[in-house]
Amino acid sequence: MISNDEKRFLEPGKHLMMGNVAMSEGALSAGASFFGGYPITPSTEVIEHLSKRLPEVGGCCMQMEDELASINSVIGASLVGAKALTATSGPGFSLMAETISMAANLEIPFVFCDVQRNGPGNGYVTEPHHNDIGFVRFAGNGEFQVIALAPMNCQELFDLTITAFNFAETYRCPVFILSDAYLGHLHEVINIPPKEEILKRVIPRELPEDTSGRMFTYKDRVSGEYVTPKPPQMGTEYCPGLFIHQPHGPDGLPTPKPMEFIEAIIDKININKDKICLTDTYKIEDAEILIIAYGLPVRSSYRAVDIARKEGIKVGLFRLITIWPFHDEVVKEVVKNKKAIIVPELNYTGYIAEQVERVTDLKTPIIRVPKVCEFHHPNDILEKIKEVA
Amino acid sequence: MSGVGPMYPQEKPEHPYLESSYVGNLLGNYSSRFCAGCGYGIISQLYTRTFEDEGLDPKKYPLIIGIGCYSQIILLVHHSAQKILTLHGRAPALATGIRMGNPKMKPIIFSGDGDALGIGGNHFVHLCRRNLNCVMFIFNNGIYGMTGGQAAPTTLFGAKSTTTPYRMFERRIDGIEIALAAGATYVARTTVAHPRTFMKYFKTALKHNGTSIIEIITPCITNFGRKNLDSLGNENMNLEEDISKMDSAGKMIEWIKKNTVRINQAKFMDERELFNKYVIGEFRHDTSQIEYSEQYNRIKDIAQGRR
Ligand SMILES: Cc1ncc(C[n+]2csc(CCOP(=O)(O)OP(=O)(O)O)c2C)c(N)n1
Ligand code: SF4
Repeated sequence: MISNDEKRFLEPGKHLMMGNVAMSEGALSAGASFFGGYPITPSTEVIEHLSKRLPEVGGCCMQMEDELASINSVIGASLVGAKALTATSGPGFSLMAETISMAANLEIPFVFCDVQRNGPGNGYVTEPHHNDIGFVRFAGNGEFQVIALAPMNCQELFDLTITAFNFAETYRCPVFILSDAYLGHLHEVINIPPKEEILKRVIPRELPEDTSGRMFTYKDRVSGEYVTPKPPQMGTEYCPGLFIHQPHGPDGLPTPKPMEFIEAIIDKININKDKICLTDTYKIEDAEILIIAYGLPVRSSYRAVDIARKEGIKVGLFRLITIWPFHDEVVKEVVKNKKAIIVPELNYTGYIAEQVERVTDLKTPIIRVPKVCEFHHPNDILEKIKEVA
Repeated sequence: MSGVGPMYPQEKPEHPYLESSYVGNLLGNYSSRFCAGCGYGIISQLYTRTFEDEGLDPKKYPLIIGIGCYSQIILLVHHSAQKILTLHGRAPALATGIRMGNPKMKPIIFSGDGDALGIGGNHFVHLCRRNLNCVMFIFNNGIYGMTGGQAAPTTLFGAKSTTTPYRMFERRIDGIEIALAAGATYVARTTVAHPRTFMKYFKTALKHNGTSIIEIITPCITNFGRKNLDSLGNENMNLEEDISKMDSAGKMIEWIKKNTVRINQAKFMDERELFNKYVIGEFRHDTSQIEYSEQYNRIKDIAQGRR
């Protein structure tokens, strides 16, 4: 249901806007009609912008009493057929974890924008710090798989938000957009495509085809593939009577075997990794040294690659756009026969470096370039390149 | 909670509302998972009856159910009602999303005293404040039944529970007072010993365009009754004479009746006389306030330049 089209889409062409606003506009273009949130720096501009824009397009933007309520209202709206999203930062995210896990269980689609800030605890609220990367992966109690996308500029905040909504509709799992304090507040010129082009990209909310009560992901008995039906909608005949936390089995109906259900909600995503895991490469064909990066550090890495290449060092960049699920096979392939791998991250732990270590053979050194609350100057990365070159 | 309840044979006398309930519709017999003597059985029957008698459209009245023993009501209410089991205390927030996502729906929220006034207190207050068109039931048994009888914020002063083995020494919270202060527009309290009033209030709430809060005092025989005597003592924790155990459902219902005061009587009673008593009746029925989604429609009109 995309209502009030004229106001939903911005004029095609170039616009100067803040990251948080670009993200919000992306959500509107994707057909979002509900936002539930609670102000928190640095994500506040999202709720501010949508408070203005959603009523214009016939949607609803609510400032709830806290993050627990925000995420629950988002789930509620999604249950009745609205494309819904919320945005928050670290401390709010902690509160929302409880409900994210419930939504993953009930396979309720929604999009979650985490504008990361420094932590732990309250932290420095306006400083960028990719410190929720690990938390996002296991964002709640219980076992489930999420999808997380890491944009690196305002244009991508717009585009990837549409992608995030599409993933949410298709795979019915929590989808995260991992922005940060810097990116959220960054003003950049973005290019808004014409309405027709956007509509071609968007997967609308659809009602399930069959009403037989199959509402959850099941394994097709013949093909052995996971089938994720469209989300059931309360208030229509496409909603089964009972919608509760219960394991659902190979046929989409409740099962006494929790294992089958856990398999279903995790493997429905893992099996589709090829479609979900978006990546990008830069000059890796003949590269001897490889940089693996995501989010903001990608921007410094591009520059570092260019400078190093000028000096005759063969460096390439492998960029993860989707960071969760982590595509082991693809990364395993790109790190093969490299002299060294450099992983610049905006955190000290090195969440992705850990993953890279897992799939790389022991001979290849993996060099972390941690930064917290400040950016990688291309020279920071260049230094490491020169050390190993 | 006592495992799977008794399954009565088919020969039992035909019950006019048997088919209306979920389990009855599925199995053709009665079964509930409540303890014998629990008030939730009464509540679910009254609820199902009203639903059936009023001919409510299940698609329009989704049930949002919190976590507690009463979650099992999910199996007893109308068979085709659309139900969602939420997280502990979050039902009002989820209902807000449902109502704002589709304003044609009127969510009906089931929650317990621990659910609504303990963990979900904040959501409850703000639901009342917004005047969202919905009905919220608070099943007040004065104890955390499901987790095995811990003290709830509503536990009466002087009562024993597993976490207050000597006596409850905290003051209790009054859900109705909070609802009134927070601005709910229909507020009523009744008990399972007054089933007709329950149906009356429920019907009024269904017609009311705004937040309706109905608190129902219900017995928890297993975790409250067995541990307590039928007098919980006065403010100084001194017990009265001639007290007996509350070890049967009948005695608990009697105790509830003894402990309730009608609202018009309560006006003439002082604080000491009302100590540990439940005041029942309709506290507010205000139809002058504008409902939340209607209010939001005005905002949409302004935003879209129609106003
Ligand atoms: C976040 C969270 N904390 C604790 C629990 C455990 N828990 C389940 S039911 C319950 C008590 C419910 O009490 P009440 O709402 O009074 O309902 P009753 O069981 O008395 O009917 C608790 C504490 C939970 N499910 N979730
Ligand atoms: S509320 Fe008490 S009596 Fe009722 S089912 Fe729960 S434990 Fe048993």
